[in-house]
Amino acid sequence: MTDSMFALIAEELGRIAADKGEVLPELRADSVFLDGGLPIDSLDLATLLVVLEQRTGRDPFRAGLRHFTTVGELAALYAVPA
Amino acid sequence: MTAERPSWIHPGFRLVEDEACFGWSDLVSLPVPAGGIVLADRTSLTVAALAAAQRADAGLLLRRHAGPGEDWVPAPGFTVTLESSGTTRTPKRITHDFNILRNRIRAPHDAGARWLLTYEPAAFAGLQVILTAAAAGALLVAAAPGGGIAGLARTARQHAVTHVSGTPSFWRAFLTAGGDLPSLRSITLGGEAADQALLDRLRRGFPAARIRHIYASTEAGALFAVTDGQAGFPAAWLVDGREGTALRIRGGVLEVRGPRAMVAASTEVRTGDGWLNTGDLVEVTGERVLFAGRLDGLVNVGGVKVSPERVEQRLLAVPGVADAAVMPVASPITGFLLTATVVPDAGVDEAALRDALRGACADLVPAARPRAIRFADSLPLSVAGKKSRKGPS
Repeated sequence: MTDSMFALIAEELGRIAADKGEVLPELRADSVFLDGGLPIDSLDLATLLVVLEQRTGRDPFRAGLRHFTTVGELAALYAVPA
Repeated sequence: MTAERPSWIHPGFRLVEDEACFGWSDLVSLPVPAGGIVLADRTSLTVAALAAAQRADAGLLLRRHAGPGEDWVPAPGFTVTLESSGTTRTPKRITHDFNILRNRIRAPHDAGARWLLTYEPAAFAGLQVILTAAAAGALLVAAAPGGGIAGLARTARQHAVTHVSGTPSFWRAFLTAGGDLPSLRSITLGGEAADQALLDRLRRGFPAARIRHIYASTEAGALFAVTDGQAGFPAAWLVDGREGTALRIRGGVLEVRGPRAMVAASTEVRTGDGWLNTGDLVEVTGERVLFAGRLDGLVNVGGVKVSPERVEQRLLAVPGVADAAVMPVASPITGFLLTATVVPDAGVDEAALRDALRGACADLVPAARPRAIRFADSLPLSVAGKKSRKGPS
């Protein structure tokens, strides 16, 4: 489940980066979203969460902000039904 | 014994509802609930209840939904109380002097006019259409409730209607409803800002029609009509006023002053010197004042205040877009984010359209761009026929 979520995140984040004319480096589970290593900003991350909700029908943030900084941590939030 | 026909109903007035045709003698014989409270889900009952309340010189409450709220007590004399369209919250009630409502109707006798009712009969805009058709001695066609746009389009064709008043959202959907649309003589838009792309489509689709869009504020009701086929209104009206209403812009918001604006019951929106704050954001572009969304519709995206309606107008102007809705969604990262749902014209390449939509927003600050764009066959509309604008909460 986490693997397929990881793949979905990589696909959608790649699309978001491509829309800005950027190329996403290969994602790892410990890739940090906003530490400058990825060509995305907070708006892009917010966009990713909206798209993930549209694709999965799940919104782990409905009850409020849950902590995550890495791709792996975000994938895990979707893996467990919120 | 038949009660005397009210003066606001021309003897030629006819109502078609559910394939049945009503004249005054049919309407007056309809049973009207006592007590002045009527669930106005039928146009026939609405007209009968208005006439009965006038005969009794009593107040009338036209309800749009069943449910609690039957404890209403009418003020003395003939007044009409309408409910706002809120379905979840308790509807707001606004009482109107019937003679003021009537006197705003300018409807010369026009027996050949065939009006389509696109609004609920007990909505303010619906009542205006009913009173207009009644005064003109026209035919008024009410589609069966719940039929949606397809039902309205079918009814419009079947009865070859000539006069239609509806929201811009109704018109965009009506234009995409398919089939031959009737040849209209009169087109009225109200309730939402009319964008230039829609006005141009209507002009092309109905070359013989008189097209006008109405500006109304929640508190003051209809204030003026624009008939030149252009979105917004002429900037010269900021100097000269329009239809007895003075207009000015303060802090980017349209303010109005005049007898019509005085009807406003609420005092909290007054500025202290008789001007009424409409809450509508406007921008002056050349010789034109254009609407740019609602002040209370601004949403905060990562610290930037953006107007979903303004972005929506950008999308509506893109060729191949039949309708579009830009909505804020809550985001744990940026507070809110704008998303768009777009109804493409038939046969449009979606990948190319997606590029064009993105291009139309490319010069906006990143926070104002719709970040997720979805395509759909239609947009959900509220019971008032407008795009459902969920507040940013």
